[in-house]
Parts: sequence; C-alpha cells; structure tokens
Amino acid sequence: MTPRALVLAGYGLNCDHETAFAFEKSGGQAQRVHINSLINKEVSLADFQILAFVGGFSWADDHGAGVIQAVRLKYNLGREILDFVEAGNLVIGICNGFQALVNLGLLPGLEKDYTKRTVALTYNDSGNFRNAWVTVAANEKSPCVFTKGLSVLDMPIRHGEGKFFAEQDVLDRLVENNQIALTYAMQDGSPAQGRFPQNPNGSHNDIAGICDPTGRIFGLMPHPEAFIHPTNHPRWTFHREVQKRNGLEAPPQPAIAVIKNAVDFARQAF
Amino acid sequence: MPFVLEISLKPHLFDAHGASVARKARDYFGIPADSARVVTVLTLDMDLSPDQLESIRTEIFTNPVTQVSSYKPLDIPFDWAIWVGFRPGVRDNPGATALEAIEDILAQKLPPKSRVYTSRRYCIEGKISREQANTIATQLLANELIQQVKIFSQKDWDSSTGIGIIAPKVLLDRKPVVTSIPMDSDESLLAVSQKRNLALNPNDIPTIRKYFQQKQVVTARRRVGLSQPTDVELEYISQARSDHCNHNTFNGKFFYREQGKPGVFEINSLFKTYIEKPTLEIKAKKPWVVSVLWDNAGVARFDENNCYTITGETHNSPSNMEAYGGAITGIVGVYRDPMGTGLGSKLIAGTWGFCVGPRDYDGPLTPKLHPRRLLDGIIEGVRDGGNKSGIPTPTGCLFFHPGYLGKCLVFVTALGIMPSKVGGKPSWEKATQKGQLVVMCGGRVGKDGIHGVTASSEVFSANTPAGHVQIGDPYTQKKMMDFLLEARDEGLIAFITDNGGGGLSSSVGESARFSGGVEIALDKVPLKYEGLDQWEIWISESQERMTLAIEQKNRARFMDLSAKHAVESTVIGSYTDSGKLHITWKGETCAFVDLSLLAEDFPQWEFEALWASPEQRGLSEPVLSFPEGSYTRLLCDMLNMPNLCSREWINRQYDHEVQGTSVIKPFVGVFADVPSDAGVLRPVLSSEKGIAIAQALLPGYSAIDTYAMTACVMDEAVRRVIAVGADPEQIGGVDNFCWPTIASDPKKNPDGPYKAAQLVRSCMALADICRAYGIPLLSGKDSMYVDGHLPGEYGERHKVSALPTLLFTTSAIVPDVKNCTTADFKMPGDLIYVLGITRNELGASQLYELLGHLGKNVPVVNPTENIALYRTLHKAINQGLCASVRGVYQGGLGVALAMSALAGDLGLFVDLAKVPREGNLHDLALLFSESAGRFVVSVSHENRHDFEAALAAFDVARIGTVSDTGDFAIRGLDRRNLVETNVDTLRAAWKQRFGGLI
Repeated sequence: MTPRALVLAGYGLNCDHETAFAFEKSGGQAQRVHINSLINKEVSLADFQILAFVGGFSWADDHGAGVIQAVRLKYNLGREILDFVEAGNLVIGICNGFQALVNLGLLPGLEKDYTKRTVALTYNDSGNFRNAWVTVAANEKSPCVFTKGLSVLDMPIRHGEGKFFAEQDVLDRLVENNQIALTYAMQDGSPAQGRFPQNPNGSHNDIAGICDPTGRIFGLMPHPEAFIHPTNHPRWTFHREVQKRNGLEAPPQPAIAVIKNAVDFARQAF
Repeated sequence: MPFVLEISLKPHLFDAHGASVARKARDYFGIPADSARVVTVLTLDMDLSPDQLESIRTEIFTNPVTQVSSYKPLDIPFDWAIWVGFRPGVRDNPGATALEAIEDILAQKLPPKSRVYTSRRYCIEGKISREQANTIATQLLANELIQQVKIFSQKDWDSSTGIGIIAPKVLLDRKPVVTSIPMDSDESLLAVSQKRNLALNPNDIPTIRKYFQQKQVVTARRRVGLSQPTDVELEYISQARSDHCNHNTFNGKFFYREQGKPGVFEINSLFKTYIEKPTLEIKAKKPWVVSVLWDNAGVARFDENNCYTITGETHNSPSNMEAYGGAITGIVGVYRDPMGTGLGSKLIAGTWGFCVGPRDYDGPLTPKLHPRRLLDGIIEGVRDGGNKSGIPTPTGCLFFHPGYLGKCLVFVTALGIMPSKVGGKPSWEKATQKGQLVVMCGGRVGKDGIHGVTASSEVFSANTPAGHVQIGDPYTQKKMMDFLLEARDEGLIAFITDNGGGGLSSSVGESARFSGGVEIALDKVPLKYEGLDQWEIWISESQERMTLAIEQKNRARFMDLSAKHAVESTVIGSYTDSGKLHITWKGETCAFVDLSLLAEDFPQWEFEALWASPEQRGLSEPVLSFPEGSYTRLLCDMLNMPNLCSREWINRQYDHEVQGTSVIKPFVGVFADVPSDAGVLRPVLSSEKGIAIAQALLPGYSAIDTYAMTACVMDEAVRRVIAVGADPEQIGGVDNFCWPTIASDPKKNPDGPYKAAQLVRSCMALADICRAYGIPLLSGKDSMYVDGHLPGEYGERHKVSALPTLLFTTSAIVPDVKNCTTADFKMPGDLIYVLGITRNELGASQLYELLGHLGKNVPVVNPTENIALYRTLHKAINQGLCASVRGVYQGGLGVALAMSALAGDLGLFVDLAKVPREGNLHDLALLFSESAGRFVVSVSHENRHDFEAALAAFDVARIGTVSDTGDFAIRGLDRRNLVETNVDTLRAAWKQRFGGLI
C-alpha cells in the first residue's frame, strides 16, 4: 500500500508544496489539506498514516511561534490527533511544525503524556531570523523512525525562534530516553558544543530535533524538504567539480532521506 | 473595561531582543545601557469573565516553559521603563491575530468592537539620564509618526497601575458626507484642489471643467440627482491623472538640447520612444515574450506549460518616514502585482535594493531618520514581509551615497509563475464583462495612505488615525493568495487586479474599461472603523486587497472557498456596459462619470532638457602618481569600502530556500559568505529548468554621464545572469527609474533642465542596449521627486537630490540548472582567465571614490562586442568547461579576483602584464578600472585546450593560477609583486565594516 501523508496548509504556513513534493518523491502519496478542511471534517485524519506539520508563519507567529496553530488544533482536533498518534501513525513537525508540536505537547511526550508543554523553542540567541545551512548528526541509539540509518546530514535552518530550551531535569530525561534524535554538528559530525554558527541558535545540548519515546513523532528545526534536489546544497557546484576531477567522493546525501524513512516505515507498518 | 496583560521571559532566561536593544543603545548612541528586558503588553478591549481571562492568559499568551505573565504589572527591575505602543489606526498585526486566537479558545465570535492592542515595555538598567532614556525611546524604539511613548523612572513608577490602560481606539464619530465642489472658474477649482489637497494639475483643470459643462453630461447627471462634481468624482480624476498612476513625466514631451550645439531634439513620450518601441520590436522576434506593457507584471514563457511573471516597484517616500512600515508595505505590495497579472500567478521570488545615506553619517544635515536607523528598519521590513509571505529572497543590492539622505530608495521586485492555460484559455488574457460581479478580497478599508503627505503634517489627537503610514500585513495577504490560487484553478476568476496606489478608484476604474462600465455600492465595502467619507473609501490605499470580477453563477463557490481560507470577500457592485462609472452610497448616487473622460485630451506635460557634457562641466581625470610600495593595504581598503564590503548580515535574515527551489543562493563559497552573481531558482520542482535573476545599480556613474551609467547598469545585470549559466537569448529586463525632480524652476529646481537631460540620455541608453542585447522590457516603473529638504547646522534647509538612479533587473531562463556555475575558485592549480578588455576607465570608480576623486573616464559599454562574447561564454559554460565564473563589477579586477579567491578559500598568483587591455594602462587601472564586459573564469588543466579554442576569437587571456595555499599574489607591469597577502587577511578586511552585524 502507498502510505498517505497529510500535509497541513493555510493560515500562513508556507512549506506545504515542497513538503508534499518530498513525500511524493519518496514514494508516498501526499495531500495538502487546509487546517479548516480538517476541522470541518471535509478530510479525515483517519485516512492517512503520516501527518506533517510544515514550516511557515502560522498566524504570523505573533504570539510565539506555532502557539496559535497549537491552540487552534488542540481546541478543534485534539482528540482526533491523539487517536491518530495512539493508532501508531507517524507525525513530523518541521520548523514551525516542530514549534506547533511542542506547544501542543505531542513532543516530547514524556510519560506518554501528549498534552503537556515541557520544552520550548524560543528566540535565537542572535536575536534575529537566520537562514543558513547547518550540519546535523543523527543519534543512532534513538528510537526515531525518521533518522533511522542516517548519520550526518546537511540542511538549511530558517527561523527566528529555534533555540531549544528545557529545564535540566527534562533535558536529562530526553538524553536518557535517546529522544534527542538530531543535534547540530561540526562538518565532520562531531558535536557543535554550542559554537556559533554551527549551532545556529544557542539550542541547549545542540538539539536540532527530538522524537517522542516511541520514535514515531518527530520534530526538527532544519528543513529536510529544502534538500530534495542535488542543486539545493550550497556547495553543489564544488561537489560537481570534485566528482568530475576524481569521480570518487560522493556528494552529500539529500536530506529528503528523513522523509523517505517515514514513507518506508509506514509502508511496512500498515 | 480593558484588561492589560503583561508577558515576559522567565527571569533566568536570556532575552535576545532585550540584549540587542541594550547593545544598540551602547553602539549607536554611547548610552551605558547594561541590560534590557522586554515585556509584551496586550490590552484586551472587550468584556471577559475572570475564568475567560485566565484561560486566555494560560492557554494562548503564556508559554509555561519560558514565560511569566500577569494582569498586574510584572515586577522586573529597571532604571528606566519605556513603553511603546501604536497610535490609533496604525495596523497592529499581532493585535489582529490575538483576537483570532481568543475567539478560537472561547469558541465564540466576539462583538465587532472588541480589540486587542499590543505594545511593549522595555525595562532598561544602567546609569542613564532621562535625556538618554528619551533618546533610546525616540531614536531606537519608537517612531512617533506611528507610535506613542511613555517613559518611567523608578520614581515615576506605580507598581500597582504600571503603564496604565491605553487603548488606541479610532473614534471618528462623524457621519460620512459627500461634498459638491463648485467650479465657477478655473481659479476657484484650483483653489478647492489646493485646499483639499486634490493635487489636480492646473493644466488639467480646463479639460475637467469642460467635461462637466457639456450639455449631455449635465442632463445625464441631473437624472441621477447630481449637478456639480462631487468630491468622490474629483478624487477619482485626481488619482487617475496623478504622475504615479498616469506616468505623466515618462509620457511627457521633452525638448532636448546639448550645450553648444544647434538644434532641439523633440521627444514625444520617453515611454513610447525608448521603452515601448524597442520592446515591441524585440517581442516580434522573440516568441517567449508573452505579454508586456499593460498588465500589473510582464509575462514570459518559462516552459511549455508555464509562464513566469515579473515586475519591480519602489516604496521610497513612505520608507523614508517610517522605515519598517514603508519597506514591509512595499514588499508585500509588489507581491500583489504578479498575483494580479493575467488570471493570477503564484509568487516564486522577491528581491531587494536599498539606497541610503552613509551608515556612519555624522555631518551637519539632519535627515528624517538617521541612515543607520533607516537601514535597520528597511531591512527588518523586507525581512518580515518576505519571510512571512513564504517567498524566497534570492538576491538584492545595497548602495550608500549622501544623495539619499534627502530620500532613501527601497526597490522591491517580484517574480511569479502561472500555468500557460487556465480552463483551456491563455492565462495572461483577461477582461471584465457586463453582468460580472465586482469583488473586493482581503483586508478592510481605513484611512490608510490617503493624501499621505498632508496627513503626515497634521496634528495628532489621542484618537486620530495615523494610518497614512502603513504597515503591511503579510499574514492576511498570504491567506488571500492561497485562496486566490485555488479559486483560479477552479476557474472562478474572470479578472483580477490589485489594490495599490489609488485603491478601488484605480482598480475598479481600470477593470471597468474592459466591460465599459461599472456600478459600485460603496456602502458595501467593509471598513476597519466607521466614519470614513465616501471619497476616502474610494481612494484609500489600505493594503492586502485585490479586486476581482466573478460570474454570478460562481458566487456561492467563490464565497465558500473564501470562508475556508478565512479570507474576507465582499461583492461591492457589478460591471456594466453603460460607459459610466456609477457609485452609490445607500442607494444615492455620489459619482457618475464617463469612463471615457480619462481618454479626453488632457494636456501633455512638457520638459526642457539641457545637457552639458562632462568636459563642459569641467570634469577631468585626476593627476595621480602610482603608489610606490605594496598595493596590499590599498586592496584591503578597497574591500572595506562601504559599497564593496560584505553585507552578509542582510540577506542572511531573508529566507532564500522556502519552496525548495534554490539552486544558486545569495551566497556562495566554502563559508557561504561571498555574494553570488545572480540567484537561480528551479520553480517547477519536477523540472530541471531554472530562472536566473540579478540586479544592478551604479548611481555613482550618473555624476559623469547617465548614458554611460545606464549602459553599464544593464551590462552588469546581463553579465550577472550570464555568469551563472543563463541563456543570453532569453533575458528579460525590468527598469526602475528613481530620479530627482526634473521640472525646471528657477528657484526651487534651478538645474531641472540638466536633470531632465540626464533622464533623456538614460532612456536613450536603455533603448540602445535593449536593442543591442535583445532584451525586452518585461516591466518597469518610475519614481520621480527623489529630493529632500534637510535642516542644516544653523536652521537653514538644504535641498538634497539623489543621484539619478536606475535599478535594472534581469530575469533569464537557465535551460538546465545542473550546468550552473558559481564564482568560487574550485581547485588549486586551476587556470585563471580574464575575458574582455580592460580600459582606462576609472571615472566614478570605487578607487577614485577612495582617493577622493570623481574623474571623467566613466566606463563605456561596447554592446556588439560584448554580446558575441557572452554567447560564446554561455556555450562554454554549458559544455562544462568553466570551474568558476564571476563578472567584473565595481572595484574592478582586483576585487573580482579577491571575491573568487575568498569564495573558494584558495589563493592565487596573477600577472597583470597578461591582462587584455587597450592603450597604455598602469597597474592601478588594470587592477581597479571598472570597464564593462569582463569576467574572471577559472578552468581546469584538462579543459584548458577546449576552453581556449572556444574563446579564441575574443580578447581572453590566461593571467595566472589558483594556488594551493591561501597566498594571494598579484604581479605588476614592472614584474614586482604589487599585492602579497593571503585570503584570511583579505577576508578580514572585507568583513571589518559590517561583519559584526546580525
């Protein structure tokens, strides 16, 4: 069966087209669905195996990134989303979507409580929006379905509020459970250790993405759907020359692999 | 009874925004601010129960992990608390989304008068005087045009009442009135025009009076209850006849003379002669040019199934008054142009161009906003406007010059894409028809943008709307665009155009010309607040609105879709074929004018243009001896010039990857810090085809000759897209002219005829280069009156005029993005070539600027020579022969070589003796002459033979090699090493000026 991905749209979200494309390119079937179409029951979540919260500025992010989107969904679709999660389906939140997931409480989902806010994505230490490519390292011990088999990836970050923050006890739990699936890294994959610009926002523990304890809900600040073609990479013209000259070094793996992992998992699971 | 909610980060969390306020206070004004923390204040002007208040506070406005909040003033230590809030009527975007969220969690629609006002309280610590606190408040935090300020010391502060309750509600408290305007004589009408700031041109007045005196007009008007013209009608005429809407300057008659030469050259419309004519000639030869010169944007073929649309705008005067608001309104506004082109296109890119005074200006003049503050605000405005629209910003440019102290320039360009066919018909064709409904979509109407200039000098009362300075709302517009694209694809749109300058007056008036008439019920137009006069509703420039024509049968579906997207759409009338613009208010007619009135024979504007050559103006080359020692420090100082140094901090704030289409980003190289020649996008994700986009402006050259300036600007913009791999046969252009006032006036503008001649010469070059390079002008705009009157040291006022400025944008097809090239040197040992001839052309160069000269030898473009080279280079790029390509622009060869080296993080060895040149050139000219038509290319040894063979017919020379260390060495004509340094030193010099900005 071809896994079906529901890609949220509307209200200032703006990565819906390329996220849907990424799912299609990864062998899934994707549908962009306006948040209101889901609320009005024109479209049913139950018909999908993957739910994607995408990047953008939902409700202009005026009162904290992803906050109003989370309120809207919680008050209108709270039960449906929890049912969707409990049925073992996959949820990914990218950038604004990640911010919405932590405000909904779907992440980090400690003690399987998917309604409690215990972590936050707050203003970058630089105080400004930043678009830059970063290197991230996947935690091979993490149960995260989306990062399975991946090691080091390049992706762009594009946010003003991406600094991962939680109190120490929560951070400890995340480490313990291997819920920290993705961290900002140096080019060789070693930890960024808070260094700017490798850690672009001052995130605690270099956190770029976390999953819930089951590994089926995943949120990340960098944009895998922005690396869906070799020419998306900022150094692709260099990599092309390297390939031409010695034909040895393979160019970096497109980060769409994160999406493909989800599609492959869903295909096997359902 | 309003409630005031204060929210802040928990005390132990770092407040990045506050830290940046404190840093700017120290850096900009030397005020010893130790720290600052920001409190967000929400004033909830509505009735709420205690339970509701608590759930609003905890569920929406307080993040339990990071924030604290209270309906009482938060206890945060400060030496000074500065409160900043909007004036009444200023667009409060966060206030609007807060209201949406509150309705959501209360699960009820609030009464229409409910409002949320957002404001901020800054808690600042440090040994700061009241005067210094006032400086922070008025010169860093607030612009008193749109914001109000309260400053509290610890002593002034009452911890129980805090800032108090401030609800900047608009209360107009008046009934709308239509006024009849008597027009007994030309003089009396002119007097009314001046009094009401109608800005009617005195020459137009007889034509207007004649129309209203015609017998059949009088009879027809009497039938609908009108006699003398109403204010609605005269405002409509005034808008339509304004230079902004009607381009009277570019359509004017010019009498061009050259000093010392006999004869007058008469030009009947610059637009028709130098823009329309060449473009139509080129369109006839190039089938990819689809639709130009009439719609909101030009349309060109992208591929078999898609067209791309492009246009450019400026938003200068508003940005000059309120930088953030002006710039965000500008970029969000230009995005409506492709949306309103044909049956509507999806936005795929936006670009920026800023011209401002020196960032460190400390001279005697006092501009409205200091250039540093102005630039900060403009940058942020374009950031929020672009990023929140979900449209990538692939490129931009910045130019500093004291001429922009009088008025800054903010250029914004937009690209869209649309299917070639919608419902089986060409997407670029549209027309209104009798019986179709007039729909207004998007935002509501307030006093925004009405007669902006006079409004800004009005005295403010506590409830006067200050909406003439607008703040764009990308969120509302993004929702509207999502909706309209869906409506387009369902075939629901018959006609679409945007509401920009002139508001409904312009959009309805122009769309009604297709059907031949329209009836509008003005009382149906949704308002932000009551009390607007009819004429105000009609010409208001409130943002984020589109005007559409839809068929009656599609009304229900259209409205359903609109509701799904949470977009307000209102039927405000219908199209007719009566020949009339007929406007009613609650059934009573308030305007009844023949649409043909605007086609009447209004007198053409006329301009005297007198050119004096550089020699006649006494310009000459400076007498310079050459530096005796090393040139290394000179090169470093060149790289540190304000117009050459790194400005990474700007585009770094702009999302250039959204939509997943990015191929060549604004930055290239190992550290992604060197600006690319052009941006490249792949707008159709399933295709390998791309669009390159580049911009150039060289206002400095205007000080010598605007013909040369224009030719060089266009050549640069063309070379930029060639350098990344675009097809020279498929380049389109967009011209954006920004010029000082050209009308002659012995007192107010004594050099008007010279400035007019500068404009004529610029247009001549525009046409010449378009023809030579085969570039159709897909779109363009002009913005005149780039002058300001600034107070000086002694209370005198100086007129400051900008340099004549042309921003030229090129868009071009990249057949296969996989063949694109970038500027960075790729491999040590690669061979470095210079393509094109270097001439003794240092006039108005960056080198002369550094040395304090203007000179005379401004670069001259040889278009026929160049285009042959560009075509051949394009072939070489497509064959994969070039490892790197970069154009040589401002700063000359020295800077171009440095850029490729910095990008590749590789050094070089170059011998200037080998550079192809004309005449007896010295080292300085070889290194820094800004001759057009040149590139720096690096090539692998393997490709050397093929590359040299391919370019054998041209002035091309191998001048050196890429080194395997960071060493950067340039040998001069006398065989000594002029420059001996390394890339790290050069990078440090290049980043010294703005490297610390974020």
